[in-house]
Amino acid sequence: MTFRIRATAALVGLSLALLPALAPAGGPLPSLLSEAKAQQNTKVLRIGAIPDQKPELLNRLYPLVANELSRQLGVKVTYVPVVNYAAAVTAFRTGGLDLVWFGSLTGVQARLQKPGAQVIAQRDIDASFQSVFIANTSSGLRPISNVKGLSELKGKRFTFASESSTSGRLMPQYYLNQAGVKLSDFAGGAPGFTGSHDTAIALVQSGAYQAGAVSEEVWRSSLSEGKANRAKVIQIWKTPGYPNYHWLAQPDLDKRFGKGFTARMKTAILSWRPTNPRQKEVLALFGAQRFIPANAAAYSSIEQVGRQIGKIR
Amino acid sequence: MQLRAAPPLLVLLPALVLLPLALLLPGLSHGGGWELIGQFASAALTPSLEPVVLRSVAAGLLVTVAMALLGWAVSLVLGLLLGVASSRTVWTSLTGSALPATGIRRLLAVPRSIHELIWGLLLLQLMGLQPAVAVLAIVIPYAALVARVISDLLDALPTTNVEALRAGGAPAPAALLTALGPALLPGVLSYGGYRLECALRSATLLGVFGLGGLGTELKLTMQSLAFHELWTGLWLLLAVMLSLEAGLGGLRRRWLMPVRFGLQQPSVGLRAREMVLVLLALLPLSLLLGQALGVQPQALFTWQPLPPLQNDWPSVLAMPWPALVGGTLALTLLAACLAVGLAPLLLLLAAPSRWLRAPLRLVWALGRLWPPPLTALLLLLVLQPGVVTGALALGFHNLGVLGRLLLESAADASPATEQALACAGSGPRLALLYGRLSVVARPYLAYAAYRSDVMLRESVVVSLVGATGLGSQLLESLSAFAWDQLLALVVVYALLTLVGEDLSDRWRARLLASG
Amino acid sequence: MNPVLELRGITVPGQPRPRLEGIDLTIRQGERVALLGASGAGKSTLLAVANGLLPAQQGEVLWEGSPPARSRRGRRLQQARIGTLWQDLRLVEELSVQQNLNAARLAVWGWPKALLNLLLPLETDACRQAMATMDLEPHLLERPVSALSGGQRQRVAMARLLRQDPVLLLADEPLASLDPRLAAELLALLLRQAAPPRALLLSLHRPDLLEGFDRAIGLRQGRLVFDGPIAAVHRALLTDLYEGNPPCS
Repeated sequence: MTFRIRATAALVGLSLALLPALAPAGGPLPSLLSEAKAQQNTKVLRIGAIPDQKPELLNRLYPLVANELSRQLGVKVTYVPVVNYAAAVTAFRTGGLDLVWFGSLTGVQARLQKPGAQVIAQRDIDASFQSVFIANTSSGLRPISNVKGLSELKGKRFTFASESSTSGRLMPQYYLNQAGVKLSDFAGGAPGFTGSHDTAIALVQSGAYQAGAVSEEVWRSSLSEGKANRAKVIQIWKTPGYPNYHWLAQPDLDKRFGKGFTARMKTAILSWRPTNPRQKEVLALFGAQRFIPANAAAYSSIEQVGRQIGKIR
Repeated sequence: MQLRAAPPLLVLLPALVLLPLALLLPGLSHGGGWELIGQFASAALTPSLEPVVLRSVAAGLLVTVAMALLGWAVSLVLGLLLGVASSRTVWTSLTGSALPATGIRRLLAVPRSIHELIWGLLLLQLMGLQPAVAVLAIVIPYAALVARVISDLLDALPTTNVEALRAGGAPAPAALLTALGPALLPGVLSYGGYRLECALRSATLLGVFGLGGLGTELKLTMQSLAFHELWTGLWLLLAVMLSLEAGLGGLRRRWLMPVRFGLQQPSVGLRAREMVLVLLALLPLSLLLGQALGVQPQALFTWQPLPPLQNDWPSVLAMPWPALVGGTLALTLLAACLAVGLAPLLLLLAAPSRWLRAPLRLVWALGRLWPPPLTALLLLLVLQPGVVTGALALGFHNLGVLGRLLLESAADASPATEQALACAGSGPRLALLYGRLSVVARPYLAYAAYRSDVMLRESVVVSLVGATGLGSQLLESLSAFAWDQLLALVVVYALLTLVGEDLSDRWRARLLASG
Repeated sequence: MNPVLELRGITVPGQPRPRLEGIDLTIRQGERVALLGASGAGKSTLLAVANGLLPAQQGEVLWEGSPPARSRRGRRLQQARIGTLWQDLRLVEELSVQQNLNAARLAVWGWPKALLNLLLPLETDACRQAMATMDLEPHLLERPVSALSGGQRQRVAMARLLRQDPVLLLADEPLASLDPRLAAELLALLLRQAAPPRALLLSLHRPDLLEGFDRAIGLRQGRLVFDGPIAAVHRALLTDLYEGNPPCS
């Protein structure tokens, strides 16, 4: 009897104790693990991005970026995925990420929380970025000619892309305000936040939402890839241009990686050209011809809009 | 003759909320996303079996399980210590005064009143993205919850044994350990097992909000509408959860422990040595898990500076507080009625048929399994956002928890009376209602009172469906990094749950006393 | 007189020997039948077959001349005509006395009445009458069963049987755990209620209480070994039934 009990207990204990041994066999280590390991080594440059598009795409794109940067700068570079925009900002403030691809709102939030952070570069298309309002064809919504026409959206089921997205929330909400539409005017008393631009397009196309606002860039690529079906979802208005995405770097990189590191990194990113096969792939996934220098002052208009809407305080 | 609902009717009354709901739902539904719901449902039968998906799901599951186990183990140890430290009996025996116990109890109410998700999101701000955050987010509220249960158990034990040993000259600590230790063990183990189930659910939920593990995988696949991959994760999680529940249930029976909300005093388990062995095996396991997860204890002490706290208190005051609090309360009440009333109703409907009972169990298991925010996202495909949609998601989750408890306690109750009624010709459902639900009604309602209190705390997790009270404002303030608002919201939330806890305690005490 | 219960060739398998084997038995309206036998002889099994708790696998049960109905409802109505007094009474402790009495009507009541009874106990007059028949104070109707004394519970269980208004009363050793005075009282009540057309089948381990019955049947090791008027029950038969040790004389 006692033997049986002991044997059972020993078996239970042993099998439980063996459980973690299976962990390393689990293939690619989950983000948390690699992140933790990376933190132990300050010589690793950790890059990240706001999760504005499908994780599959980001997981394909950023390891390429990491490789290219690593090759050019001669340091180890790792990609750390995050699940939402605010987490990316927090990770930047708390030093968990060294170089992050932010939208303008999150970039401004991050710079306000981390004084001295440096704007490194933006894409050629980011100087004048646009948002589109899209609608399901069965909603009865038709293309409009000016901002006042957005008042048609009152009482419709409406979704933004994500709470802290510049192109999928901030600027659309700014223009909705100009048309006199409050967030509580939508059906159900609140807009939705689907989490990413791709999902917003898919949900408007499915009819789950009657209308939404997303980045013009993602909308265009959805159309060209055939994911968005013009018979089901149409563009009803395009906003004027505003500055958007940019790379933001920690203020202390020179101290950690050596004098002039930030400048070298900037030069490296600006040097990417479609003529180089590896760089061509990266640029294509970014949807850009090249990166161009960015100026922090260009984002002051975004900061104003952010304060007006309450996303920056 | 006065109207007074008898116990079996009392458990069904909350289901009356279905009537107004049936009137409201057609106005709220928009049918827009039925196609997507169909895709989601049909994907259940064809989960993705690609090696890449399987690997990442398995890796995510391991992280989630590790977070849950580690958080659970630490909270259990910490909770035991804190529970002893907040026991009136212990303080009275040691110092002659119960005052310190009361003080510690009051202090512990604060960590308990804040949901682990809020702890997780706050700690993320303080400590950055690292594995310790999820573990600590589970430990803080759980340790306080365990401490409360332990001290309640301790103070409910008769003190005559302690006094006898003390009179015999034993020093106070030795007397306490000898007299109360063995009597406490079954209660601690039973409750501890239950907390492990909770920890698995919490770890999954924390993942949904970005703290890593399977929850994160689920959220990301849901967000990209990759339903086949989503189901791979859901089925795997279901397998783990059901085997955990079955395993714990087996241990509970083996160690002769009392049913979870049983009225009888816990009896002393006969297998103390076995229990201690298992507990000892868990200790090195936890250390290993911590290492595998990359939890660095020293990281807990390197806090990041908070972003500057704006002091825009007028704007904090100007927030629509009555609407926020009202929304939270309405959400909780609706969800509680749905969960509490539907469980016995569904049990009654399914009872006579063996073919119906198995799907019912499966639906309840899925309810327990699905993090409510995922359910809410699904519901949004066909319903408008708002209190009702949020309540449906929260209610479904808790229906799974309550349904299982009801089923277990109904199975534990004697079948004699139900049999007698059936023999006298009453139908199987009425026999179940009169003969068996009568018996389990009071303890079930007492547990339901406790669960409603949990739902109040949990209402924050369905906030993403929008316009649902404090929770939605909390996430909005968090993404705006508005620390003043955040602070005010957390304080209000904590106050609300403390009041809720007090009410549920009183209601529970009354129910059990009159039984 | 019409038969209320007919068992034809009933066999209930069991280990190491069948619990019942080849039982043929007919009970007619107004008959008061005592069921004798040692413990383990199959008395409880026979009663369980008689009230439908144990569906007959081999052999045939006829209630008031008909086999068990195919439809669930029809079968329930048949079962409602057979009343059982359980040794452990099987009252619902959490409900009031009146709600318990009305539980006997669940076979004929629909859901609305059954639910309403849980809110506002129904059919007070009929319940009072049943209480009066059992010499119970009407004010007890509102008490929960858990607040009653042992003797009161016994009578409430009887009153519940009367509310059911069965044609056949079954009782499984109802007197076993009672003191002699209470046992005699209860037996008298049972015998009084078994007036034609109602019949009574009562299993009994005390042959000294046979007075008042019309007929006795004896079971030994699952077989029917005696069936006759009580006048024919003699010491030799009892010794045989109880395998050498009649429990009481």
